[in-house]
Amino acid sequence: MPNDYINIILADDDEDDRLFFTDAFDELKMNTKVSTFNDGVELMAYLNSDDAILPNVLFLDLNMPLKNGIECLNEIKANNKMSDIAIAIYSTSASEEDIEETFVLGANIYIKKPSSFKQLKKVLSEVVSMNWQYHTNGLNKDNFLMRL
Amino acid sequence: MIRKVFAKSAFFLRIIFVVGLFLILIIGGFTYRHIYNLTDSTKQVVSTYKVNVELEKVISYLKDAENGHRNYILTKDTTYLEPYLSAREKVNESFAELKEIANHGENQEENLKVLSKYIDALFTNFSETSTFISGDETLSEAFKTNFFEEKIIMDSIRQKVNEMIDFENSLLKKHQEQYQSNLKFTPLFLYLVLLITLVLIIISYYKINVDFKNIRLINSQLLIFKEAAVQLEIIGKHGNWVWHIDKEKYTFSDNLYRVLGEKPGSFVPTFENFISFVHPEDKEKFAKDVEDMMKNEDLPFIYYRIVQKDGTIKHIKGYGKLLINNEGEKRIVGNITDISDEIERFLEIEERNLELEKNNAELSEFNYVASHDLQEPLRKIQTFISRLEEKEAKNLSSFGSQYLERIKVSATRMRLLIDDLLQFSRTNKPDKEFVLTNLNELLENAKQDVTETILEKKAIITNDVLPTVLVIPFQVHQLFLNLLSNSLKYSKTAEAPVIKIEYSLINSKDDHNLINVSKSNYHKITFSDNGIGFEQQYAEQIFELFNRLHNKQEYSGTGVGLSICKKIIDNHNGVITAQGEPQVGSIFKIYLPE
Amino acid sequence: MKLFIKFDFNTICKKVLETKLEELDIKYKILAFGEVELLERVPSETYETLNNALNEYGIEIVENQKSILVQKIKDAIIEMVFNEEATVNVKSSVYLSEKLEHSYGYLSNLFSEVTYTSIENFIIIQKIEYTKQLLLTTDLSLTEIAFKLNYSSVAHLSTQFKNATGITPSAFQRIISKRRSIAQQKN
Repeated sequence: MPNDYINIILADDDEDDRLFFTDAFDELKMNTKVSTFNDGVELMAYLNSDDAILPNVLFLDLNMPLKNGIECLNEIKANNKMSDIAIAIYSTSASEEDIEETFVLGANIYIKKPSSFKQLKKVLSEVVSMNWQYHTNGLNKDNFLMRL
Repeated sequence: MIRKVFAKSAFFLRIIFVVGLFLILIIGGFTYRHIYNLTDSTKQVVSTYKVNVELEKVISYLKDAENGHRNYILTKDTTYLEPYLSAREKVNESFAELKEIANHGENQEENLKVLSKYIDALFTNFSETSTFISGDETLSEAFKTNFFEEKIIMDSIRQKVNEMIDFENSLLKKHQEQYQSNLKFTPLFLYLVLLITLVLIIISYYKINVDFKNIRLINSQLLIFKEAAVQLEIIGKHGNWVWHIDKEKYTFSDNLYRVLGEKPGSFVPTFENFISFVHPEDKEKFAKDVEDMMKNEDLPFIYYRIVQKDGTIKHIKGYGKLLINNEGEKRIVGNITDISDEIERFLEIEERNLELEKNNAELSEFNYVASHDLQEPLRKIQTFISRLEEKEAKNLSSFGSQYLERIKVSATRMRLLIDDLLQFSRTNKPDKEFVLTNLNELLENAKQDVTETILEKKAIITNDVLPTVLVIPFQVHQLFLNLLSNSLKYSKTAEAPVIKIEYSLINSKDDHNLINVSKSNYHKITFSDNGIGFEQQYAEQIFELFNRLHNKQEYSGTGVGLSICKKIIDNHNGVITAQGEPQVGSIFKIYLPE
Repeated sequence: MKLFIKFDFNTICKKVLETKLEELDIKYKILAFGEVELLERVPSETYETLNNALNEYGIEIVENQKSILVQKIKDAIIEMVFNEEATVNVKSSVYLSEKLEHSYGYLSNLFSEVTYTSIENFIIIQKIEYTKQLLLTTDLSLTEIAFKLNYSSVAHLSTQFKNATGITPSAFQRIISKRRSIAQQKN
C-alpha cells in the first residue's frame, strides 16, 4: 500500500520547533502529510470539525498557551471518534513521574525534543515507523508505549 | 520528707505521754496501798496492846478480888468484901471491852469463852468459900479443897491470859514481819518507776528539742522559698491569687499588681477590680471561664488580654486549682503569667517561618522554572548549530568551523549543567510518595540506563541481592544511576571499571557512620569501584552543589550528581558517606532506615 | 438502435471495488481515485483472491507481488515468534529463506523497501509485543518470559524491551495497570 500516506499533526506554540519539525519530515521523505497548529485551542477546533481528517499520529507540545497538551490529551481520550489516533507528547523535558503520568493519561509516545536536527529526524522516523507497524500489523494499540 | 519525720516524731511523743501517764498512775496506786498498809499495821498494834492491857486489867481485878476475898476470910471483916465485889463488876466491864476489841479470829474468841468460864468458876468458888466462912468451918476439909480449887482456877486463868497475850503478840509479830517485808520493796520499786519516768521525760525533751530545731530550720528555708517565689514571680512575670471561697475574700500577690501595671496593694483585691483590667473583647469569655471554674472548682489554662492603665496590652495565661485544708476550708489558688513576650516571639517566628517557606518555595520554583525554561532556547541554539554544521559547513572558513565547534562544546556543557540542576531541583520537591519497592528492580533499571557506557568501557558490575524497602522509587533509581554513572565516569583509562555493590542489614550501634540516628536497623548498600578515587580530605565536599574535584576537560561532571544523591538520601532520612583513595578507588556507603 | 452511453470510469471502478471487497468481507475505505485503504490486516490468500478478482476487470493492484511476499514474510515471522517450538535452534534468516524460497538478502531488501523497517527490527517488535501480551495476560515473571522466548538472559530481554520502547518492563506494567484502574473508576 505504498500509495498510502501517513497523516501527521503537530500542535506547538513555538515557531522554531514547528519549522524544525516540518523540515525534518521534508528531509525524511517518508510519504507523510504534516499539518501544524499553533496551540491547543486551534488543534481541538480542527479535530472537532466535521471535515477533519484525523491524523495517524498527533504530536502534542505540553507547554502551550490557552490549552496545554495535557488538556488536549484528556479531551481526545474522552472522545471515541478520536480513539485511534496515536498520541505523541513532544516536550522539552519532564520528570520521570510526569512522563509516567502522561502515559497513564493515555499518551502512546513521549518524545523529549532532541537538541540536534539529526537526532530529531531519527526520532521522528522511529515514531512513524513504529506507528506504521502498529497500524499495519494489527498490534494491540493499547500496549503502544514508546519513549524517545 | 520533713513532713514524714514530724509525723513520726509526733507519734513517738504521744506514746511517751501515754506510757508516762500510765507509770504515774502505777506510782500513785502503789503509794496508796503502802499508806493503807501502814495504817492497818498501826491499828493492829494498838488493838493488840489494848487487848493485852485489858487482859492485864482482868488479871489485876481478879487478883484484887482474890486479895479481898482472902482478907475477908482472914478477918471476917466484911469491909474487905468491898474490893471483891467491885472487882467482879470491873472484870465484867473489861471482859465486855475485850469481847469488842479482841476480834482476831475464832481462836481468840474460843480463848475468851474459856477465860469467861474460868472467871465464872472462880467467882462461884469464891461464893462457896464464903459460905464456909459464915459457917466457920474454915479449917474443914471442904474448905481446904475449895481453897485449893481456887488456886488452880486462878492459875488456869493466868495461864490462859498469858496464852492469849502470847497469841496476840505472835500475831502482832507476824503482822509486823509482813509489813516490814512489804516496806522493804516498795521504795525500790517506786524509785525505779520514777527513774523510768524521768528517762522518758528526758527523751521527750530531747526529741521535742530536735523537732523544734528542725522546725526552725524548715521555717528559715520556707522563708527563703517564699522570698525566692516572690523573686520568681517578678522574673517570670507571674502573679498569684487566692480566693477564700467560704469567706468570699481574695488575696493577690504583690507581683500580680505589677503584672497589671499597678503598685502592690494599690487596690482592694476583688474579682470586680481584677476584671476591670481584662481587655473588653475578652471580658465575656473570661467571665464565662471563671464561672466554669466556680462550677467545676478547677480552672483549665485560660488565655486573655489585659489592658494596663497606660493602654499597654498584655497577654495573660491563667490557671487555678481548688485546695481544701484540714479544717475543710475551700480555697482556689491560681496563677497568672504575662506571656506577651512569648506570644510576640512566637508570632515573629511564625512570620519568619512563613517567609522562609515562601522563600524556599520561590527558590525551588525559580530553580525549576529557570532550568526548565532555559532548556528551550538552549535546545534551539543546539539544533541551529547542528543545522549550520550540516548545511553550511562548506561555506565556513577554518576559523568559522573552529568557533562553531567551540560554541557546540559550550552549549553541550550548558545543557549538562541545566539538566543536572533541573534534576536537583526536582529532588528538592516535597510530598513524594513512599512505596514498598524491590531495590533490585531499581538497580537493574539504573544499569539499563547506562548499558551503553558499560559496554563501551567493558565494565564489570556485580551486586548482592538487595532488599525491598519503603522508598521514593524514582529517587532511588536516580540515586543508583548517579552512583553508577559516577563510578563509570571517574574510571581509570587503562583499566576496565569494576563496580561492586554489596548489601547488609545492620544495627545502627555497629556502625560509626550511624551516630545520632533515629532508627535501630539500617539497610547498608555499598558501591565500591576501582576508579581514580579522591583524597579523603574531600570526602565531605564532594556532596556539595557544583563541587568538582577534577578538571572539566578531563572529566565531564557538573558537580551536581552527588549532591542529588545526598538530597535523595536526606529525603529518605538516610546517611551517605564517601571514602576515597587516589588511583585506588572510591567507596560510597548508603544507609536507608529499615 | 444506438445507445449513447455516458459513463464514468471512476464510478464503475469504485462499484467493482466495493462489490469485490464486500464479497471477501474486507473492511475498507476508499480514499481517492486509485487509493483504497484496507482497515484490517488481510491474510495473503484472501489478498491473492482479491487480486485475481480485480484482474478480471482489468484492475491491478500496483506492486502486489512485492506486497504479497512481504506479507508472507510477516506471517512467517509471527508464526515463528508466537509458536515457540518452531524457533528452537534455527536462525531466523535461515528459517525465512527456507520457508519462502528466496535468498535472505532479497527478502531483507524487499522488506525494508516496503515496510519502513528491517526484518530484524520486525522480529524484535513482534517479540516485544508478545512479551507485553504475556506480561499483561499471564502471571509469568519476566525471567520466565525470557526463557519462553529463547532469550539468553532476563537482562537481555529487559535491555531489548528498554531499547525498543524506551521504558522498562516494570514501568510498562505499572502504567498499564494504572490506566486500567482509572478506567475501572470511571465505569
